[in-house]
Amino acid sequence: MNNLEKLFAGKKGGLFMAHMIAGCPTMEESEKVAEALVKGGADIIELQIPFSDPMADGPAIAVASEEAIKGGATVAKSLALLEKVARLGKPVAVMTYLNIPFRYGISKFVTKIAKTGASALIVPDCPFDTEEGRELLTACKETQVYLIPVVSPGVPKERLEQLATDASGFVYCTSRQGITGANSKFAKELVDFVKELKEIFKLPIAVGFGVKSKEDVAELAKVADIVIAGSFFIHVIKTSSPGSVEKSLKSLIS
Amino acid sequence: MTKKITYGGAYVPEMLWDTLRKLTAEFEGAKKDANFQNEFQNLLRNFSGRPTPLIFAERATKDLGGAKVYLKNEGANHTGAHKITHCLGQGLLARRLGKRMLIAETGAGQHGVATATVAAKLGLECVVFMGSEDIRRQRPNVFLMERLGTKVVPVEYGSKTLKDAVNEALKFWMEHLDEAHYCIGSVLGPAPYPEMNRYFQSVIGREIRSELMERENKLPDAVVACVGGGSNAMGSFYDFIADASVKLIGVEAGGIGKKIGEHSSRKIAGELGIFQGYKSLFLQTEEGQIAPTHSISAGLDYPGVGPELADLYTNGRVELTYATDAEAVSAVDYFAKLEGVISALESAHALAEVRKIAPKMSRDSIVVATLSGRGDKDLFNFARAFKDESFRDFLKDEYNRYE
Ligand SMILES: Cc1ncc(COP(=O)(O)O)c(C=O)c1O
Repeated sequence: MNNLEKLFAGKKGGLFMAHMIAGCPTMEESEKVAEALVKGGADIIELQIPFSDPMADGPAIAVASEEAIKGGATVAKSLALLEKVARLGKPVAVMTYLNIPFRYGISKFVTKIAKTGASALIVPDCPFDTEEGRELLTACKETQVYLIPVVSPGVPKERLEQLATDASGFVYCTSRQGITGANSKFAKELVDFVKELKEIFKLPIAVGFGVKSKEDVAELAKVADIVIAGSFFIHVIKTSSPGSVEKSLKSLIS
Repeated sequence: MTKKITYGGAYVPEMLWDTLRKLTAEFEGAKKDANFQNEFQNLLRNFSGRPTPLIFAERATKDLGGAKVYLKNEGANHTGAHKITHCLGQGLLARRLGKRMLIAETGAGQHGVATATVAAKLGLECVVFMGSEDIRRQRPNVFLMERLGTKVVPVEYGSKTLKDAVNEALKFWMEHLDEAHYCIGSVLGPAPYPEMNRYFQSVIGREIRSELMERENKLPDAVVACVGGGSNAMGSFYDFIADASVKLIGVEAGGIGKKIGEHSSRKIAGELGIFQGYKSLFLQTEEGQIAPTHSISAGLDYPGVGPELADLYTNGRVELTYATDAEAVSAVDYFAKLEGVISALESAHALAEVRKIAPKMSRDSIVVATLSGRGDKDLFNFARAFKDESFRDFLKDEYNRYE
């Protein structure tokens, strides 16, 4: 059984997904970051395989990705890290941009992350109804990895309904239109939008983008089943140390 | 059996789905709308100055000793390059869509200046993203954009060139979808951009055909254009695709060598990939990281090529080749002395190819090179490339006058 399925069977809401980048600040220390996130109380780890040009990410993640790649975070090493992170016992969602699996070979990539312990895959620049989206869906179905749709307030109902026919696991909803970054301005229509998502997808809804304080988490937890934070931890890693991530996470979700 | 590759597509986050759908619908509607066509034609003619001249390069023809050489002078357009054509088209569409702002990326600054100009003309706000490396190389265009009332935002990360400017523009767009139209500067990005910009730019090829018919009463044997993203090339080639006798040659930036990071040629090292919303040939690493590129010309310094052009190249209809930095600089000098045209460094790549192929072609054949832009913007680069002492003294003087 998929680890996420197990998680959702036991706990319906109040979950937290913590994001990290393979190779940030270094490959060795990434493992410590993952451990700190688990100890700090993360229910799901989102592991980003760095891509040179992450289109949906703000400067914090873009620069961190660039530095990770410069520091030697290859896809092969990121996948080795995935194996270690998965062993920590929490479900892991792999996040990356389409050119990475496309070059690796889509089916080969999905098989590899499934074997290595990933429960879900997030590819924000690959709509399900493209040739590669179809390939991803097929490969994910075969290996029991959830392919997670990423949506935002403003995506019309008609499109959400299309996506819902293929969605599994959970839905990644950005708190507003735009990109990741430590700026919490949630869209006014977010509450209604998340309600709509629940009706259409009938899956747990994860909400992220711009989460940076206890207040943000509390506010989003009112509507979302899973709250996501990412750039926040990059900031913590950069301004203190991988170890301090545990404390910061605790203060975020306590 | 090898699978047929479908180039292009729209590989973007879902938040852009509705915006791209509306843009596509508006574009399709505008193609059939007489009002739009009148407005677009009027601006091309009475604002940009079309049709642009087709120059018979008589002295160069004699010197090269082969094919008759013609230059399609897109540099005669308002703002000095072909870029204004797709900016006018997109600006009108943006207004029809009720947007109040244009955003753009720019490399050489030509597309940025053209967008800024169109925004001013149509009464729209304008924000242009430009890599800080390109700002350094093309500072005069930054000044012009700011004079036109545009906000120029430097991009300080990544390779700090054109691809990073596209990334930043896309991101800014995703945060301002309701009010802004992203005026992409070449035949790339997610659908409908490649087709849309090619549609607007295809006026270049139609004019070449009719101007040459009038003068020579025949078709060219070859059409040559430089290729960054491919907008002036697709614009020049499109009308001739069905004419099998017309060779279509795209010239990429050969830079200073064949190693990754030394050039921007997809012919040398392009591999199929998916980036910035479209599937095409990209300079990238084995693992799919986008690779650094180099060209003396900021406008060709980009890792990808428009999907329609990649398709025409893979199926053999378009030939790709490249010219080095040094060949481009030398071609500027050659055509300046012989023909009285100072070419942009981008376009000079096409001119360099003409110098190679014209001597090998028969005297009754015709080669047309698209002079995508004039060289004013490269004044400082030329002065440095030619190690012009007096220009250096002038700069010192000018600096002192500021104090
Ligand atoms: C004069 C000129 N020519 C060519 C280009 C390259 O673009 P494209 O290949 O889209 O024509 C540029 C881009 O900035 C340019 O300014």
